[in-house]
Amino acid sequence: MSEKAVLIARVTRCSTRSFVGASRLPEADVPTFGSFCKARAQRGQSEVIGLIYDIRIEDDEMARQIAIAADPSQEQLADNRVSRLIPIEISCLAVGYSSQDGYAYALPPQPPMTLDDVFALSRDEVMAFTQSMDFVPLVFSAPGLPADELLAACLRYSAEVRPQSEQRAFLVEAGRVCARQLAGDVARLDRLVRNLAP
Amino acid sequence: MSERSELDEHLGPKPSDLPLGVVVGGSLSTGLTVKIHPAFTVEKLAVGRYVVIRGRQTDRTFFGIITDIGLDATDADLARRPPMPDEDFSAEVLSGEIAYGTMHVSPMLMLDEDQDQPRPVKTIPGHFSAVFEASAKDVDRVFGTEDKTHFYVGTPLDMESVQVNLDLARFIERSAGVFGKSGTGKSFITRTVLAGIIRSGLASTLIFDMHNDYGWSVLDESGREYKGLRQLFPGGHVSVITLDEETSRARGSKVDGVLRVGYEQIQPEDVEMLGSFMGLSGVMIDALYYLSYKLGSKWISILLGDENEETTLQDLVDEGRILGATLSAIRRRFEFFRRMGFLVPGKGDDAVDEIFHRLNMGTSVVLEFGTYGNTMAAYVLVANYLTRRIHERYVRQKNLAAGGQGDEPRPLVIVIEEAHKFLDPQIAGHTIFGTIARELRKYSVTLLIVDQRPSGIDDEVMSQIGTRMTCLLDNEADIRAVFSGVSGAGALREVLARLDTQQQALIMGHAVPMPVVVRTRDYDTSLYASIGLAEGEELKKRAKKGSKTLYGD
Ligand SMILES: Nc1ncnc2c1ncn2[C@@H]1O[C@H](COP(=O)(O)OP(=O)(O)OP(=O)(O)O)[C@@H](O)[C@H]1O
Ligand SMILES: [Mg+2]
Repeated sequence: MSEKAVLIARVTRCSTRSFVGASRLPEADVPTFGSFCKARAQRGQSEVIGLIYDIRIEDDEMARQIAIAADPSQEQLADNRVSRLIPIEISCLAVGYSSQDGYAYALPPQPPMTLDDVFALSRDEVMAFTQSMDFVPLVFSAPGLPADELLAACLRYSAEVRPQSEQRAFLVEAGRVCARQLAGDVARLDRLVRNLAP
Repeated sequence: MSERSELDEHLGPKPSDLPLGVVVGGSLSTGLTVKIHPAFTVEKLAVGRYVVIRGRQTDRTFFGIITDIGLDATDADLARRPPMPDEDFSAEVLSGEIAYGTMHVSPMLMLDEDQDQPRPVKTIPGHFSAVFEASAKDVDRVFGTEDKTHFYVGTPLDMESVQVNLDLARFIERSAGVFGKSGTGKSFITRTVLAGIIRSGLASTLIFDMHNDYGWSVLDESGREYKGLRQLFPGGHVSVITLDEETSRARGSKVDGVLRVGYEQIQPEDVEMLGSFMGLSGVMIDALYYLSYKLGSKWISILLGDENEETTLQDLVDEGRILGATLSAIRRRFEFFRRMGFLVPGKGDDAVDEIFHRLNMGTSVVLEFGTYGNTMAAYVLVANYLTRRIHERYVRQKNLAAGGQGDEPRPLVIVIEEAHKFLDPQIAGHTIFGTIARELRKYSVTLLIVDQRPSGIDDEVMSQIGTRMTCLLDNEADIRAVFSGVSGAGALREVLARLDTQQQALIMGHAVPMPVVVRTRDYDTSLYASIGLAEGEELKKRAKKGSKTLYGD
């Protein structure tokens, strides 16, 4: 792989359906809502592919106090952001896994283990994984997620990693896969498709 | 892997490998509903085209014809909130997937893996069977190859390489019809088919050529010249007999005979058919039978006042046998006969025997009407007159053959135009043409009727028509009529109403394995050549070759 894998978190909680990783302050551009990541599973035999659906920073007493202070200094703010260990939680939906045979678009046989590394998927990997759109139904069927927004973000991002000339065709095909899932709800589909439009 | 498969991989499957869609419903009687694959657009389909359906659970292949094309959506709501015209992307995503095309397919034939002849369908392909555009090879297999008794009449729409071949033996086995609005190409198709029949030698044809379309050359609107049958078969397989020698000569037709019918040969039955054309009432027609019985063979001359028999006629009135008013009305109407130059006083010739003889020898006869073709009554009179008598001879000959005292007569196809004038429901029951249509080929005589108003033809007769070749028709009643008695072909109506205005026809029935829309074969030098006529350069070459072999130089 040409790009160096970017470590974005370590697993803190997990199930076969999803996993949560924690990290320090995020880099400027990774992780982002709707991007893909991966974590080792089955002792390295496979990698679970996750779709980031939530990024959350819990508050604590100190943060609350600084926030309501009359006039916090720049140092105070920076110190709070950089030096203090406030975990950032990244929630990922399992949308597939890789094994020797390539990608499978189903829930992984086993989740990752606690404290396993979570890496962002490189552009090449994103392109390879989204060669098939079979992960889309997994997103729609996950309960309690902003599935439409999540898919729109993820699919737009997956289009961007492709050559300019292929982007539109990719989005059309992606839109059609979503349409198949939302065939009974035209209003919802309409919103999603507008969000996908290049 | 071979180079080829790598290439295939690169280019993706060939268009015909991709299914047009899948079967999602339907029945044998109403046809199949097919959901069109998002990769195809309805805009490129056409009713009348063929599809091949591969059965999903068996090796059976079905052939069908597209009879309707539609649009549908999985959600009725879509119609209420369609993408706006500027929302290209939405439109592209939605169309094909939740807004999709459908087509209606009438299954026609099926073919099992281990057979090579397709058979009529008795069942339908299962759910989700894939539907493909039929390839030229598929269609070719259905229509077979041209041979002595299978005559090439046209190509299926968009398949110029495939020949649709009429099974001529089956074509002449039952009466056939050519229908279509005026100017759609009826006469051209008829002439083409007749050329095929004559070349095959399967039957003789007797053609009542109302508009001088068949015997000698015809000019079209643009002045192009097309050869008539007499020119296509210079070897004596076709005779032209004219009713109007002057016009035929003026047109430059080669004429083999002139028809003269003597007044004495005409019977009341011949005149009865003319009732509506001559304004003869029921009472007058009854009187005709009486008059001919009373006056004998010269009845027409007497009524025309040519025989000095006024007193005889007066006596009939005086005796109360006939009303004076009726008699004078009949006599006034009979003046029509004088205007028909082909009717002559006296006994006339043995035209019927002469024509029967030619037909039985395998010579087809074109009866050219010249200017009399414009007079419907003349056409009806002559067609009836000859057909009744020739049919009679066929019946006699057939009976002799059955009794072992003679040869089977050569099958005969009688061609009439404006057929509804002979076969309307009021008269079809008791005219010779109605009889021939109904008795099928019992006496080896069948009809080829050419008509632009099939709704005027008696239903029972229509249902006996074995092969129908139909050009564009737009009148609802006419369309209904050509489908009467054709099971399951109702869906083809859409196809029929959408034919081009010229040179396209729907052929269905006895002589084709399944209904087919064709662009009819061009009537040109290649057709002339295919029936064995050599022209111009070719002829010279042959002549030269002939002289070489003769004189050895
Ligand atoms: N097979 C063909 N080859 C060449 N030209 C054709 C052919 N079929 C039709 N046409 C063209 O269409 C014109 C009309 O055809 P045709 O005379 O056969 O029509 P029709 O249906 O018999 O008309 P009508 O009812 O007036 O007798 C011809 O003059 C010719 O130009
Ligand atoms: Mg005509």
